[in-house]
Amino acid sequence: MSLEKSVNAVGGRVHWARDGEEASRIIVGIAHSNKVSSIVKSKSMATEEIELNSALEKAGIKVVETDLGEYIVQLAGERPSHILAPAVHKTKGDISKLFSDKLDVPRFSDPQELTKVARDRLRNEFLNAGMGVSGVNFAVAETGTVVIVENEGNARLTTTVPKIHVALMGIEKIIPRYEDLSLFLTLLARSATGQKSSTYVSFISGARRKGDLDGPAEFHLVLLDNGRSKILASQQTIESLYCIRCGACLNNCPVYRKVGGHSYGWVYSGPIGAIINPQLIGIDKASELPFASSLCGACKDVCPVKIDFPKVLLELRQQVVSNKIKKREWDALLERLGVKLWRFTVEHKRAYEIFSKLFYYLQYAWGANQGRLKSLPFPFSRWTEERDFPTIARTPFRKRWKTIRKEIGNP
Amino acid sequence: MTNHSRDEILHSIRKGLSHSLHKKREDERLFLVDKARNFKSEAKDITIQNQMIISNLLKQFVKEAEKVNATVFKVKNGGEIRDFIGDFIKDRNMKSFSVWESKYLKNLELKEYLQSKGLKVVKPENKYELARADIGVTEADYVIADTGTLVLLSDGSRPRGVSLLPTTHMAIVHPCNVISNINELFIILKNKFNASRELTSCMSFVTGPSRTADIELNLTLGVHGPKELLILLTEG
Repeated sequence: MSLEKSVNAVGGRVHWARDGEEASRIIVGIAHSNKVSSIVKSKSMATEEIELNSALEKAGIKVVETDLGEYIVQLAGERPSHILAPAVHKTKGDISKLFSDKLDVPRFSDPQELTKVARDRLRNEFLNAGMGVSGVNFAVAETGTVVIVENEGNARLTTTVPKIHVALMGIEKIIPRYEDLSLFLTLLARSATGQKSSTYVSFISGARRKGDLDGPAEFHLVLLDNGRSKILASQQTIESLYCIRCGACLNNCPVYRKVGGHSYGWVYSGPIGAIINPQLIGIDKASELPFASSLCGACKDVCPVKIDFPKVLLELRQQVVSNKIKKREWDALLERLGVKLWRFTVEHKRAYEIFSKLFYYLQYAWGANQGRLKSLPFPFSRWTEERDFPTIARTPFRKRWKTIRKEIGNP
Repeated sequence: MTNHSRDEILHSIRKGLSHSLHKKREDERLFLVDKARNFKSEAKDITIQNQMIISNLLKQFVKEAEKVNATVFKVKNGGEIRDFIGDFIKDRNMKSFSVWESKYLKNLELKEYLQSKGLKVVKPENKYELARADIGVTEADYVIADTGTLVLLSDGSRPRGVSLLPTTHMAIVHPCNVISNINELFIILKNKFNASRELTSCMSFVTGPSRTADIELNLTLGVHGPKELLILLTEG
């Protein structure tokens, strides 16, 4: 409330949104009432959370991500795989091909040149956009200042060039006093990227003042609850709200490093995703996430705000189990049946040979290509949704072994 | 509708805050506030000491700024700065520029000087032209030695775009504005806020030129903001 008063005092407007849908509606509403047809966005996990882009596109508004990584991911029609480096799952070659396909430019291979392509394209988007949407790293209650931390400069452009600036923040980003910023900014830069300070930190207190030559004429701050106040009420898991989104837990998590960000199924990935996704979207919708951890505690060790991840994970596991949110019955049945069938097959040589031959032919019907099988029929489609299945070789190893053995002689 | 949401969220927060853990935290918070107050008065003493070792702080600032790919030049005062900037722009074959109208830069008559050399001056309120300008000249309000950071406050004579849109950003730094770390800065700014109850609409920290590592974690400079950051350190 104090934040609302301060933001009003510096000429901004505050909106309250209980959930993602309401937040999207508010932002679409601001765009519509100002006849905005194109929007530039700087990186914000909260806008990913509420799926703002699809809401804006449905409303007929063009929206362009401007963080280089997010831009790449948006062009590819994907989701970010890391909260700081959204396109970390893509190689230079992927990006080169993507740019030449979508942007009609030659195939560049040098990151410098690729970056320049994006810079030139996005400059035009910034200059022609009617509205800029940003996230918020911290908001200071007493001064009404929102703070945005970045390295590229796209957040500065988003909050400076268009006529309207809309910032979306989860309600947990609020800090009481101006001087608290020094501590949080120091923690964030060092934990996120190992920099002493991020390249750009913008402290925005409302819209442009009388006499200012640039900056947006309107400033809107959207406060998003979306399940956060419920976490606040839980003594056991409240620390999930301390997170400053530095990404240190992702970088140090052995599970994240193996499975990658997309496997977490929702916007937040890594250990922090494992604890906040179930709490934000409902524990029954992400009941497997609290179990997707070895409880090694590496995340707890590196966390700058000292979230006790293993403790919270255990608490959530307990909730999952005690809520008796079991796998649906037929799921369990299918699994048991599958295991029995598998057991029979591997115990009987003939059956194994028949099944592998059968599968070898079937895989081409299912679209196997270049040693990769991209989709399998249900129930195996659940596997191929997240990753490819290696194809079965033409000649089984059992047969090849006979020739190999001859070649290498008797060891 | 919106007001309804507001009440509902606030109610939910109040309910959330009612458990005993929060009471304990509130006690801890008050303890920390007390500690922070003592720290503040200590920090003031540190500020005074710092003025005695200002040259050390400047050395540290230069070292940190260079680490993050800024280029630092030491220049003499007055006309020599103007000549330096003029020569630099000529060497680089730059054609257009934009400059802050802060008191110092106005007194320097840099705009008039560069215009007389045939360069095109770009008005900061014209975003399209500013985005094509070769160089923007600003002046740092503070610089932070610990991190090599420039602190730029914006107002009517110091538009934000000049340090952001042109390809090169040149900032003039006066030794008297160096402070040791970010804690000190917020104490200074807090005092300012307490005096006027209002901060400028935008403050920016600038630490080196714009950078990204979004493509295979390769460091690339100049993605959205300036590709180059030049710091002119005056004699004071």
